[in-house]
Amino acid sequence: MSTNLVESVIEGLKTWARVNSPWVIHFNSGSCNGCDIEILATITPRYDLERFGIKLQGSPRHADVLICTGPVTRQARERLIRIYEQMPEPKFVIAVGSCALSGGVFDGLYNVAGGIDQVLPVAAYVPGCPPRPEAIIDGVVKLLSSLQQPAPETAPAREQGATQPVYEGEAI
Amino acid sequence: MELGPVARVWHQGVPEMNPIVALLIFPGGLFVLTLGLAYEWVDRKLLARAQNRVGPRWFQPLADVFKLLAKEEVIPNDVNPLLFVGLPIAALAGALTAALYVPIFGLAPAYSFEGDLIVTVYLLSLLTLCMGLAGANTLNRFALVGATRTLTQLFSYEAPFMLALLAPAFVAQTWQISAINSYASTHWLIVTQPIGFLVALIGLMGKLELPPFDAPEAETEIVAGAMTEYSGRGLALFRLGKGVEMVVGLTLVAAFYLGGIGGPLDFLLKTGALLIAIVIIQALMTRLRIEQTVGLWWRWGALLVLVQLLLYILWEVVTA
Ligand code: SF4
Repeated sequence: MSTNLVESVIEGLKTWARVNSPWVIHFNSGSCNGCDIEILATITPRYDLERFGIKLQGSPRHADVLICTGPVTRQARERLIRIYEQMPEPKFVIAVGSCALSGGVFDGLYNVAGGIDQVLPVAAYVPGCPPRPEAIIDGVVKLLSSLQQPAPETAPAREQGATQPVYEGEAI
Repeated sequence: MELGPVARVWHQGVPEMNPIVALLIFPGGLFVLTLGLAYEWVDRKLLARAQNRVGPRWFQPLADVFKLLAKEEVIPNDVNPLLFVGLPIAALAGALTAALYVPIFGLAPAYSFEGDLIVTVYLLSLLTLCMGLAGANTLNRFALVGATRTLTQLFSYEAPFMLALLAPAFVAQTWQISAINSYASTHWLIVTQPIGFLVALIGLMGKLELPPFDAPEAETEIVAGAMTEYSGRGLALFRLGKGVEMVVGLTLVAAFYLGGIGGPLDFLLKTGALLIAIVIIQALMTRLRIEQTVGLWWRWGALLVLVQLLLYILWEVVTA
């Protein structure tokens, strides 16, 4: 009984810390750069994401959230997967922009593998071409509030083989 | 030392405390860790205000540390796993041990002996040394560049910083931190040794790798410097160590130059004032390249402190 209590307190603490301190890393897997500029605008002092504890990190080893922009080109696919694999658990992916959602205007091109969810398990989708900083912040906050529910369906888990890319085509 | 009645009771209260409690919970251990997190928050919040931002919430450093502790720790290929796991522990242990020799929160130091100043200065360097080794232990090129810069910077600010802390020791004619502290409570050394104070304060910023001395962890060039490969627990311990080092460093500078630390209020006011000064310098300056940092310390820092020492010796000779 008391061990259960201790465990639930520790679990609660972990969730609280995770929700309040998401460090993000940003990866462009083939975007036209429009979305990236919006992401950079999002982390400027005007929007001040540090008040949510959000910090942009350079190293995948420090990050909790991978923010992806653009469709996945076949050339960037391997790198995207590698960056994702370098992040320590627990980790989440946010797809930002119409192209990251479905391939957008690049859909069907010979060199494009599709949206981010063709390669990685995505936890939150932020539509727009490009989405405004407010929309990106909203996406991150929605993802964080979904963490507070007991077992979010979208949470990826390495042991379930969720990181296995759906798309199996040949890289160019 | 001349103490008020409250401060006297406060000072005598410590030896009666259970040594385990003193070591792990109140003046040492947990208390210093909490203080380190609080000072980190003040630093980040004030910096955010200086940049016209709202800044982090008060529990932000705590949430960061908890989250990192709960994360997976990835041990990369081709590192020495023992060193990879052990170095963060050694770094934090060094910083926490250094906290036992300084008047934290205005209390008398838990341990004190003739020469503890030297021990403390070396214990403070242990953290930087561990960070450098941790970066050099991995094969990551960013971590290697970061490690080189960390160690280069260590060798540039260390001598001036040490000289700046030795100058008060010369005047007080003792190598004991508590004795210098009580000497300083009657002599505001910032008035007689302004150069030493400046060098000590800016040397502390170099030690903590705060801007403008953040070339070793320049995130726009070398990702996260020596810390690039660390995730989870190791990173959390290094961050905690940095916080503790900040508290210990501020306490040392305040005790030596700002008229000693006689009680808790004294401690909060004086270290707080120093912290604000550090934040202002951080907000005003941009990052120096590593060779600019080295040049600054050896051409100006070390030289100025030596000149000040020379002046002091001349003064002694003339007045003798
Ligand atoms: S969603 Fe629009 S702005 Fe973003 S990458 Fe696609 S085309 Fe560019």
